[in-house]
Amino acid sequence: MQSKLASTLFAVAAAVATAVSGAAVARDLMIVGFGGGFQDNARKHLFQAYDKASGVKVKDDVYNGEMAKIYSMVKAGDVTWDVVMVEAPELVRGCEDGVFEKMDWSVVKKDKFIPGGTSACGAGAVLWGMSLFYDQTKIKNGPTTYAELWDVNKFPGKRSFRSTPKGTLEIALLADGVPAAEVYKVLATPAGQQRAFAKLDKIKPHIVWWKSGTQPVQLVGSGEVAYAVGFTGRTVRANAENGDKYPLLWKTLLYSVDYWAVVKGSPNAKEGFKMIDWITDAKPLLALAEDWAVSPANKEAAANPKIAVKNPGMLSSHVADGLFIDTEFWVQHGEDLEAKFNAWVAK
Amino acid sequence: MAISRNNLLAAALIAPLFAVVVASFIVPLAVTLWTAIGNPEVRETLPRTTAALRGWNGEGLPSEAAFAAVAAELAQAHEAQAIGQLSRRLNFEEAGLRALLLKTARAKDRLSAPYRDALVALDPRWGETSLWQILARNTAALTPLYLLRSLDLSLTPDGKIVAAPADEAIFLALFARTFVISFWVTILCVLIGYPVAYTLSTLSTRWANIGMALVLVPFWTSILVRTTAWFILLQREGPVNALLLGLGVVDAPITMIFTRFAVYIAMVHVLLPFVVLPLYSVMKGINPAYLRAAASLGAPPWKRFIRVYLPLTMPGVAAGGLMVFMLAVGFYITPVLVGGPEDQMVSYFIAFFTNQTINWGMAAALACLLLAMTAILVVVARLIVPGFRLGGVSA
Repeated sequence: MQSKLASTLFAVAAAVATAVSGAAVARDLMIVGFGGGFQDNARKHLFQAYDKASGVKVKDDVYNGEMAKIYSMVKAGDVTWDVVMVEAPELVRGCEDGVFEKMDWSVVKKDKFIPGGTSACGAGAVLWGMSLFYDQTKIKNGPTTYAELWDVNKFPGKRSFRSTPKGTLEIALLADGVPAAEVYKVLATPAGQQRAFAKLDKIKPHIVWWKSGTQPVQLVGSGEVAYAVGFTGRTVRANAENGDKYPLLWKTLLYSVDYWAVVKGSPNAKEGFKMIDWITDAKPLLALAEDWAVSPANKEAAANPKIAVKNPGMLSSHVADGLFIDTEFWVQHGEDLEAKFNAWVAK
Repeated sequence: MAISRNNLLAAALIAPLFAVVVASFIVPLAVTLWTAIGNPEVRETLPRTTAALRGWNGEGLPSEAAFAAVAAELAQAHEAQAIGQLSRRLNFEEAGLRALLLKTARAKDRLSAPYRDALVALDPRWGETSLWQILARNTAALTPLYLLRSLDLSLTPDGKIVAAPADEAIFLALFARTFVISFWVTILCVLIGYPVAYTLSTLSTRWANIGMALVLVPFWTSILVRTTAWFILLQREGPVNALLLGLGVVDAPITMIFTRFAVYIAMVHVLLPFVVLPLYSVMKGINPAYLRAAASLGAPPWKRFIRVYLPLTMPGVAAGGLMVFMLAVGFYITPVLVGGPEDQMVSYFIAFFTNQTINWGMAAALACLLLAMTAILVVVARLIVPGFRLGGVSA
């Protein structure tokens, strides 16, 4: 009995010792993105390719863009993510909050990015966008504009939007007839915000909200909703897998840039900057474009005529049709509108 | 001597438990309460402004020293990547302040003495008493604002408590919804669990074991798995709708998922074992002679049940009901998966403030209020519900 107890205690002590010493040993470089088709292909062409080229061990993980995990890491001084992909307003706010390192432009070459592709704490990764889609095998002629999407008599069934004010409020104003160029001017005024919420009120019972990027295709695929506004990358991938079921309505595109950033206090910050420089170069991005409809924020890669032809879903070919999600607007108004939006949704 | 040794031994035996309670319950609770009322942002980011505002009487405008300090410290905070927390905190007091603080921080090179004129020229809001009142108020170490907002109240710049604007006042309704859902889930669990436990208690050992397994296997299955199963069953093109359509009961699929109905059904299913198990153990312990005695004295079956059996099982009802209610109040994942936006409970908003907006003060305030309200309800229930005192709480 006694010896059994002693051996158990010893085993526990040994396990604790290993865990503690393991934590002290330098870990692999951890890069975290939003998952989906981009990350599945970037794993090979960007992350593991960099691993091979540099000899630095790279691992990747997935999150939904929730900033709390990064904030807690930085606050607790236990930073386990090194490089993360972040949306533009979150990047700017996180930079002001000191949860991202200022980008080291002596390591990352600044002149290779498209206009708007750099920020104090971030280097442009890809363009991303959301657009309206539905299942063409079930619905022959669906709505082609947001104004039509509001016609629940002509187009019955549920609609799914991302459960964030960012994107949803713009869509409401576009549906209400505000020209794309005026959207943010209107949305900056209290009257404009009321107008957007009033427009959403008209179809509120018909809305199903999504949180994770995988949901829109699932919801439309299972028939739970008839129409959804989802990430174009996911729609393109679903079309590639299931035959072109979902139309890509580029006139309904809202788009922005995702950035790579280094988490403040990362023990691998130096390696992180080096990796960001490598994975934003034209060469690996063009290799990635062979397998995936990436829309790189690298000037040279974006301008390459071959990938535009190969990837008809590449966003840089469609930005003229779409609305650019205004980063500065969402930095300024994000918190107020999130509070209002959540109160409105819950009522 | 012997007694004190025994006492020491007893103390040593419960010491680990005591340590666990302190570490896992009391410390987090204290930290949460502190987060709900703590107000470090202005003091830490703007220490010189805080000092300069100490002598200000709250009327007119503060001294030139306060203007100079705020201009310098905002620029410093921006440089040190520390302006975010401050501007988020003050923007929570009044929408639009984030933009003002950032504008001021970025204008550093264009500002020079006298700073009062320079700041007012940059943005007229710097010349408003109300802005300085907000700043001065938040140099205090504690703030009631998170708790007030959680109760749909707000503070004016001069410190009066007023009702929050209608488009942000959702929390009282949210607390009410949480308790109403939990109440009905508890009632349904007791109504369904009571006959189940009774039947199990009257079966032969062999059948009782089989019946118990039917209760326990779902109990041991993860909540997430059970909730996801309901999601699949209730969805528009799921088995339940297929059955109803096939039988001709309905013409078109009915909406069950993302409704209050789905929340009730999934929560009752998840929580049912918590009322069946204590009821079963109480019912097993009831001496059948009492019921025979009642029968021999001429009581009809319904009277035997009301006067004898039900009172004897009340401790089980109270213990099971209380457990279900407590668990239901904190439910998060089930309403998120099968409920609509109008069916979310307080936990959803705690998670929202924690994860989405990083407003940990609001998350902590909601958590503290939920705990306080639940405690009050339990105390009230103990006073008014018969048999509650005999239940798991005090017996």
